[in-house]
Amino acid sequence: AHAPLLSTEGQVSMLVDPRCISGSSELVSRLRHIGVKLRVCSLSGPDFILSKRMAVNRESESDLSGVQNRRRLQERIQKLQEEHERVCLIIQRDRTKPGEPVRIIQHSRHYAATLALLAKAGVRLLFSNGIEDTAAILNELVQLEKRKGQAIDVPLEVRGHQQRALQFCLSLPRISYVTALIMSHRFNSVVEIINSSVEDLQSLTSISHSRAEEIYRCLRYSCDPVLTRQQPVL
Amino acid sequence: MKLLFEEELGVIDFCLSNKTCVLYVSETDLVAGNAYRRRIANSGLQGVVVVEKTPLCEQYFSVLQKFVVLELGLTLLPVADTSEAAQLIAQMVFAESKENPFSRRSVSRLLEPLVLGLVQQIPGVGKVKALQLLQRFPSMHQLSRASLQELEILVGETTAQQIRGFFQDPLS
Repeated sequence: AHAPLLSTEGQVSMLVDPRCISGSSELVSRLRHIGVKLRVCSLSGPDFILSKRMAVNRESESDLSGVQNRRRLQERIQKLQEEHERVCLIIQRDRTKPGEPVRIIQHSRHYAATLALLAKAGVRLLFSNGIEDTAAILNELVQLEKRKGQAIDVPLEVRGHQQRALQFCLSLPRISYVTALIMSHRFNSVVEIINSSVEDLQSLTSISHSRAEEIYRCLRYSCDPVLTRQQPVL
Repeated sequence: MKLLFEEELGVIDFCLSNKTCVLYVSETDLVAGNAYRRRIANSGLQGVVVVEKTPLCEQYFSVLQKFVVLELGLTLLPVADTSEAAQLIAQMVFAESKENPFSRRSVSRLLEPLVLGLVQQIPGVGKVKALQLLQRFPSMHQLSRASLQELEILVGETTAQQIRGFFQDPLS
């Protein structure tokens, strides 16, 4: 019998990083409540993966306003952009204590500059009033990706030798967890991955041409013997 | 900031460059109904919608966001008032010319460490053996075509078999 597909009829699912489970259990239970199926796995980067191409991260408004977080945010977004075709950022309003009125914060110039640069870089920005709103936005996004035929259509489980192939694929350049997962399911052996053409890589995993090319080039790249010479052990 | 007034912009409110145009939706527009929607959809705009998000019109925001971002695939940026809008649009103008720290940098990096990392994914192969293998078979592609005999000479019988198994074993 086949393992169940990640997205079966009618129901939508998304991959979620364990960091989210521990960091925002309320969001997780909200999502489960609306009927989104969550599969937890270590994604190293995104908080959520919604489809073959889309990764989503969540930031609070105050994280985006503070200059001290600039470096961390830049690194995270760059990594997401490198590995995923589409990157969304949900900007969530900071929570106020119960009973406390919603404060109107005048946003800093740094906040405005960050938004302008993120939008210019092609990051899709979505604004949320709180956890409930964030859950609804995630649900809408995952439904939309499914309608566009981008739902993850391989089993999430990897068995036996697939596990090694998955780790191998994750070491390839510009590859997301979901692409590595698809590769370890769609190819018959590791040597088949290595021998495949750019077109095969593209059609089997639905990645872009430039990504497929980069993988192809890496697998055929001849290392400079000087750089791979054994360093004498001291 | 220097502003140029131009009457021929049509539905667009601000034009920042050849590519980026801004359409401004005020609190009043948002509360008044759906007319602004037609304005956005008909604009053929490949740009940014800046919208006032105030306590008064906040309830309409999520519907607008769904329409602009999810349905039309445009960018939507909320501001609290006109002064915030001015600040944001000014920053968008700067962003046009500045190097963008959020874009993927296409630096040409050395591929040797990547290939070395790939070879070390093979069970039984650590750094020392990986380097040995790459001296003889400098690419992943060549290594995957090495015969058992060729591999045995380099890394011994057990590892040679592990390498062959890694490449050939079926994945399903």
